[in-house]
Amino acid sequence: MTAGHKSLSDLLDEVALKILMIEPGDLSIVGELLDLIEKLLPGQAAPDTPIVIQRMAAAFKGVLEKLIMGELADSAENYDLLGQCVIEMQESARKEGRPGEKIVAQFCDNLKKIGFSMEASALLGTVDAASAGMAEVGDETMAEEEGPLASPQIDPAPAAQAPPAAGPSQEALPDFLQDTDLLAGFIEEAFEHLESIEVNVLELEQSPDDQDIINNIFRPFHTIKGVSGFLNLKTINRLAHATENLLDDVRNGKRPMDSAVIDIVLTVGDALKSMVENIKDVLQHGPANYKDTDISGFLVNITQLQEGGSGAPPVETVSASVSDLLPEVSEIEEAEETEEGEPLVGEEAVAVAPSMPTIARAAQVAVSPRVPQAPASSVGRSTTDSAQKKIGASIKVDVEKLDALVNAVGELVIMQSLVRQNKLVSRIADAKLTKDFSQLTRITSELQRTAMSMRMVPIKQTFDKMIRLVRDLSKKSGKKVDLIMEGAETEIDRNMVESIYDPLVHMMRNSVDHGISPPADREKCGKQETGTVFLRAYQKGGSMMIEIEDDGEGLNTQKIRKKAVERGLVSESDNLSDFELNNLIFLPGFSTADKITDVSGRGVGMDVVKKAVEKLRGKVEVQSHSGKGSLFVIRLPLTLAIIDGIIVRVGSERYIIPTIAIQESMRPDRTNYSTVHGRGENLLVRGELVPIIRLYEIFGVESTNTDPCEAIVVVVENEGRRRALMVDELLGKEEVVIKNLGGLDVQGVAGGTILGDGRVGLILDLAGVIANKAD
Amino acid sequence: MEAANVAQSSGQGTELAGKYLTFSLGNEGYGVGILSVREIIGVMEITAVPHTPPYIRGVINLRGKVIPVLDLRLKFNMHHKEYDERTCIIVVEVQGQTAPVQVGMVVDSVSEVLNILAGEIEPPPSLGSSSETENILGMAKAKGEVKILLDVDRVVGEGLLQQLAS
Repeated sequence: MTAGHKSLSDLLDEVALKILMIEPGDLSIVGELLDLIEKLLPGQAAPDTPIVIQRMAAAFKGVLEKLIMGELADSAENYDLLGQCVIEMQESARKEGRPGEKIVAQFCDNLKKIGFSMEASALLGTVDAASAGMAEVGDETMAEEEGPLASPQIDPAPAAQAPPAAGPSQEALPDFLQDTDLLAGFIEEAFEHLESIEVNVLELEQSPDDQDIINNIFRPFHTIKGVSGFLNLKTINRLAHATENLLDDVRNGKRPMDSAVIDIVLTVGDALKSMVENIKDVLQHGPANYKDTDISGFLVNITQLQEGGSGAPPVETVSASVSDLLPEVSEIEEAEETEEGEPLVGEEAVAVAPSMPTIARAAQVAVSPRVPQAPASSVGRSTTDSAQKKIGASIKVDVEKLDALVNAVGELVIMQSLVRQNKLVSRIADAKLTKDFSQLTRITSELQRTAMSMRMVPIKQTFDKMIRLVRDLSKKSGKKVDLIMEGAETEIDRNMVESIYDPLVHMMRNSVDHGISPPADREKCGKQETGTVFLRAYQKGGSMMIEIEDDGEGLNTQKIRKKAVERGLVSESDNLSDFELNNLIFLPGFSTADKITDVSGRGVGMDVVKKAVEKLRGKVEVQSHSGKGSLFVIRLPLTLAIIDGIIVRVGSERYIIPTIAIQESMRPDRTNYSTVHGRGENLLVRGELVPIIRLYEIFGVESTNTDPCEAIVVVVENEGRRRALMVDELLGKEEVVIKNLGGLDVQGVAGGTILGDGRVGLILDLAGVIANKAD
Repeated sequence: MEAANVAQSSGQGTELAGKYLTFSLGNEGYGVGILSVREIIGVMEITAVPHTPPYIRGVINLRGKVIPVLDLRLKFNMHHKEYDERTCIIVVEVQGQTAPVQVGMVVDSVSEVLNILAGEIEPPPSLGSSSETENILGMAKAKGEVKILLDVDRVVGEGLLQQLAS
């Protein structure tokens, strides 16, 4: 039961995180959210999922679908309300599915505010009533699915819907699926190109006349166009081709590189990315996933720009992702505009009517003379290669092979020390042998270092995505924000890159949305109009540090204190430092209180960030000066595979305690030792009572010492709880490679590792140890 | 349920035929299908893992991989015997929840690989309590001895599952 329940709360956490990531206008994340919530639906949820939550999930899904369909407004307020709904679901999960009427009523109330009516009785009431409510929701979704959801292609011009939309997509399918190897290569390559385009475009914004940068943008488009044409990916080819033409004009000085061009190139990049993403999906999950993307909006825009039409519609309205194909007023307007406007020339004009397959294909024919065939595409490739020369040659290696290598090298190091410590060998007094041994040690440690470094990648990729984020955010909110990045070349474990992205986005957004104030307010405070957000990465000791600093409002420490007292997290008499108060924002449930104006997010809060960072065995802290700005510091281990730990002995067993959690260790003084009712043992550590956990007791081993004052205690902190672990001896500090226990899953044990003598040592999972004691 | 089980096992007599690695626990001879055996190693130091049933002895380092080890004597409620130079760990591979997992089984000693014919296999005896016999695929009479053919997936899988449930 615990396992199922844990996964429920994990799922809800993920849902909460996704809610934070949603930006109005970006429906792709809503789609991801939908996938998540479907796991909680009746029939698909884990059997022990409380029925109330299943029903809530069903209602939630209904709302999401309406949002995607455009029946409900795609606005930040609605997402905030959805965030509240998630909190209520989390609350219900915490109460084991007996949330009480108040929470359910709140949930329904929030749904109503969004515009989705739902009666509390349907969630709480008898099974009959509930199933009726369920059926209603089900019917609605069914009805909707018949609609445009089933057919991904929706044309902006309503009149064009006459031919079955699914037609062209199915025809287009087999064409590019003939050579999956080439296709897989293309997908990888295209992602790289698209990222380099984005980075270069943003650079271009700073220095619009730099011919080199324009070339750097032009080339990847050219390559994508060439290869996609070769692989018969017609839509991608057409879009890349049109954009390339536009860039060619810029390159030849026919038109200036202005913000209109930059915007269109960025949105085209996004659209291409989602198309390539979709093709990846098709490769992995079969052709049924194929979605035809409507690119006519882009083509129209590009043509207009090429015609020199300075009155091109604001590009922001051109939606970027596949899911944005839904009829949006702006898009329809655009289409109408072009119809009314001057007749369009060239193949793009023909392609405006993609719903008419024959004409579209005719357009393809018209394009084909210009589409480079295979040799041309290889030319395109070689030019990009030369452009990337400074990065150095690299090859792609399967991650599994890499892991196997790292594993084998780890074993080599252990075996070497075993051979060295062999009694007979160590008795040999031969200078040559000693010299050879030290040479061998040098080689193996070099090998180990290299093997480990192969898992590392610069954090630059992740940072680069933030440039775009800050740019979009500041544009949307009308604030002026400079993003200054330092240390983007710092290396981070490959496996961590993806997991750190979401929390980083959330924190960056916090800084821009809530930290930095609008230019006018800033001037009033005597600050520069333009706010600055620093994003730094560097290594410190055995850790990777990421800092996000803004010169904005800072946290309102007094409000946080007031809120914390209200929630009973601290008492009025507690004398906490500003630092301690500010870090209360990471406590779960804290931000679910009424909004604290200066730092309000979607109400789901910073605890999600903290959890995500802790999953990576990191720490996050905030330092803030009211009115001056905030500094968020994330500390991460350099790699996930290795943990820095203190080896302790308990009886005959050895355990490893993660160093990051250890505050101090000592031999306790009897005057500081106290018991409650003769059982609950406490130790007074620097004025604070810390409960003692006897490791030998909860792990059932024989211990040398049973008196805490003769043993050693290690004071650890986990999730804000401090405990004193009683051990017999500290054996040393070592960086150990984490391995799973081959199927065993034990509370209080995070994994195993192979110690210097070849035996297995267990790594403690402090959260588990503390929870175990609490049971 | 039990009757069905017996009927099923006897019907599978031909399927059960094949090569078995035989080993002994006390006076009894056992066999496990050769295809699930990965290797046989001498007994080594085992690191105890807390909160596990007694028959799970702990984990060992198998060339850089950490694998759990269970003691078959304890698993079958036989009395414990001190490990000696004949004690072996048979490493078998079974299907875990997501991927195949390797697990070590401590046995008194390993005997030989036997080719057991379909005609030599009989369904497991009914001993009253089904929990004792559901680990058993069948009984083989080979070379004048009776070998108990074990269902490794059951023995190991059930062991790990029980551990998870606790």
